[in-house]
Amino acid sequence: MSGLVAGLLLLAALSGLLVVLARDPRRQVFAMAGNGLVLGLLFLALQAPDVALSEIAVGTAVTPLLFLAALAAIAMDRAKGRTEDPAKDQAEDRALDRAVDHAK
Amino acid sequence: MTPRWRLLLLALALAALLPAVLRVALAMPEFGAPTAALGQSVNALVPELRHVANMVAAVNFDLRGFDTLGEECMLLCAVTGATVLLRGARGERGDVRAGHLPGRPVIPRADATVLVCRVAATLTLLFGISVALHGMTTPGGGFQGGVIAASGLLLLYLGEGYAGWRTLVPSPVLAAMEGGGAVLFVLCAGLPLIAGHPALTNGLPLGEWKDLYSGGLMIAVNAAVALSVTGSFGLLLVEFLEETREPADAPASNEADHEDGTMRTRT
Repeated sequence: MSGLVAGLLLLAALSGLLVVLARDPRRQVFAMAGNGLVLGLLFLALQAPDVALSEIAVGTAVTPLLFLAALAAIAMDRAKGRTEDPAKDQAEDRALDRAVDHAK
Repeated sequence: MTPRWRLLLLALALAALLPAVLRVALAMPEFGAPTAALGQSVNALVPELRHVANMVAAVNFDLRGFDTLGEECMLLCAVTGATVLLRGARGERGDVRAGHLPGRPVIPRADATVLVCRVAATLTLLFGISVALHGMTTPGGGFQGGVIAASGLLLLYLGEGYAGWRTLVPSPVLAAMEGGGAVLFVLCAGLPLIAGHPALTNGLPLGEWKDLYSGGLMIAVNAAVALSVTGSFGLLLVEFLEETREPADAPASNEADHEDGTMRTRT
């Protein structure tokens, strides 16, 4: 195993760990895109350029965008459901966050 | 389920699976050792048999072309399902504008952003077409080229904004590409059947090794995959981004916030 492959494997593990440790969904999306880029480079170093191209296009561009669009739609939907009472809204948000955390 | 129970379950699963995993892992060939017999024989035989330089394309579009047809249909079904679900909940109304989060300022797009996005989107599209066209000679092919071309659409969204993106990206065209590509693939597989040969029989002239025209029927299959994948991913992006729109006659409170937001950026 060359130093390049070893380094990229280590980087893949580290960036994967970052995806798990980032708790804010938006940061998680970008961490995931970074992880996809590292995986693409790893595939390239392992002489699989076909897979590397697919991984970079799907894992770094398309999937993160789908997540971002979904997060934006959720944020707008929540904003639409706002009532006159801010305390009640905050309680609702907290309940939703708890539900999302639980689902994770 | 309490964390204690989860740990107990994890320990049980590990105890059951770990010996088997270890045994398989230790019996595997050394890391990076090119000992797979099938791969070696493909490398040795296919340049003679099919005149192509990219073995991955030869395996995908010819040697196991029928599997690829299944994968293609899987992508078609997944994207169609997502489209039906999202459009079913949202409706097919046209009079919409980009959604906006109340209270967040709307910052006008810089000219430099528009310019960079237009240049980059064109280059991305050209690169995608090139990767798809050279599928038989260099790494890449229909799937990779298609995804790259579709991801260029994102740069259009970034540069042109919602209204410009909607006029530039007609989703019926994308849907036609998606379905048309799949039909072309089915025809490539089915026409030899009618003539009495096995499915996907490579009846076209094979062409020159390392030439743009090489591989015979593989070129048609590659083009079918490229069309279908571009259409599928483009449609997926359109459908997901449409989720962030809102009807043009949405409540006026959002409109007020919107104007408030732009005012704030101007001052």
